[in-house]
Amino acid sequence: MTTVDADPYPWPYDGTIDPARTAIINIDWQTDFCGPGGYVDQMGYDLGLTRAGLAPTAKVLDAVRAAGWLVLHTREGHRPDLSDCPPNKLWRSKRIGAGIGDEGGCGRILVHGEAGWDIVPEVYPLDGEPIIDKPGKGAFYATDLDLVLRNRGITHLVLTGITTDVCVHTTMREANDRGYECLLLSDCTGATDHGNYSAALKMVTMQGGVFGAIATSDALLEAIAS
Amino acid sequence: MHPPSEPITATGLTVAATDPYPWPWNGELDPGHLCLVIAGTQRVHAAASPGAHGVAAVIDAVATGVRRAGGTVCHVRHTAPAWNGVGRRRPLLPELGEEGWAPVLRPAPDDLVVTASGHDGFCGSALDPELRARGIELVVAAGMAAEVAVSGTVRSANDRGYECLTLSDAVAPLDPTTGARELHSITMSGGIFGAVGTSAALVSALERRAHEPIPNPSHHARTP
Repeated sequence: MTTVDADPYPWPYDGTIDPARTAIINIDWQTDFCGPGGYVDQMGYDLGLTRAGLAPTAKVLDAVRAAGWLVLHTREGHRPDLSDCPPNKLWRSKRIGAGIGDEGGCGRILVHGEAGWDIVPEVYPLDGEPIIDKPGKGAFYATDLDLVLRNRGITHLVLTGITTDVCVHTTMREANDRGYECLLLSDCTGATDHGNYSAALKMVTMQGGVFGAIATSDALLEAIAS
Repeated sequence: MHPPSEPITATGLTVAATDPYPWPWNGELDPGHLCLVIAGTQRVHAAASPGAHGVAAVIDAVATGVRRAGGTVCHVRHTAPAWNGVGRRRPLLPELGEEGWAPVLRPAPDDLVVTASGHDGFCGSALDPELRARGIELVVAAGMAAEVAVSGTVRSANDRGYECLTLSDAVAPLDPTTGARELHSITMSGGIFGAVGTSAALVSALERRAHEPIPNPSHHARTP
């Protein structure tokens, strides 16, 4: 495997994609964030923006599963009694008419086990792929993600998911601070605001790659195939 | 003595003109539970942030206001993680002893100073236990390399349940466009990382709070 044609440097920095040390983490591809009747839909945002990355992500998943990578998924959500939901987070969601724990178009919003909380079929996890449930935006805070990655010897992370400027960026920043070499796939992510999406991609590349690098899914597929 | 603009909510006092909701969420603007967290104010951050010089003066002024009101001020030092020699050298994370490590703002004697091993002030630092030990619930964020150091710290504070206010005039971004977008992201989904406000409005509200303590229903109003 060769390096990926990425911005601002050929990824990874150390020159090789080692399938044994590289994982793909798919952030919050849940109905609540990209499906009709979910939390984001209920807030009135354009689902086309958060769904745009689904098809390219499905294609990438086929390729990396065939290449033997570890595939992980995350879900944002809370316990049914909301005991893991900070009161200010709950208040803000209710204030804009999409209260966490309230009945929405797909069951109780952002609650474990509800239809809206589940991952959408296009990128559904296969049996055995680790799923990380997180109460916040970052996938490292209050979860066992770091432990799972270390146990598997993972040092390099490719990220897909939604939304780019919130959960994806927060997780990428956490991973970068913890020493993981990160690549965000630009067409496998989306945000509720296109300008915020574009800025979030640009930020990764600033200062010579302050959070890692970005690349298209085609560039990654080409590197895997070569 | 004070502008009439700070809204008094049913539960207390909030800062004027914060976006997207009157901050803090519960109207409990108690300086004893508030910390100004200053991130990304080392030479390496100042050199990379075009407005750093002017913003340094704003941060100093708001820090003075917070201390005078009885609030806490915390300075985050960002440094290279221990594994830096193994992995890729991370931009904007100077090692102790390097010129870029040196702070550009002088802490007051009672200020907290913590060292983080990353852009996020919570990563590998004593920030969370220090804030919890002091009963801090409100985090006001300021600093340089704002999209990186300030935003990363606010994201982690928000996930930990701290009620965050980012001061738009007390942050110097690496780039004005991404800096403005980062502030905009905070206000999405009803305040996904808290709220955005100005330092003058914060200091004004803290002064008013000091002069006219407002009965706080959840803490004090259960009197006969």
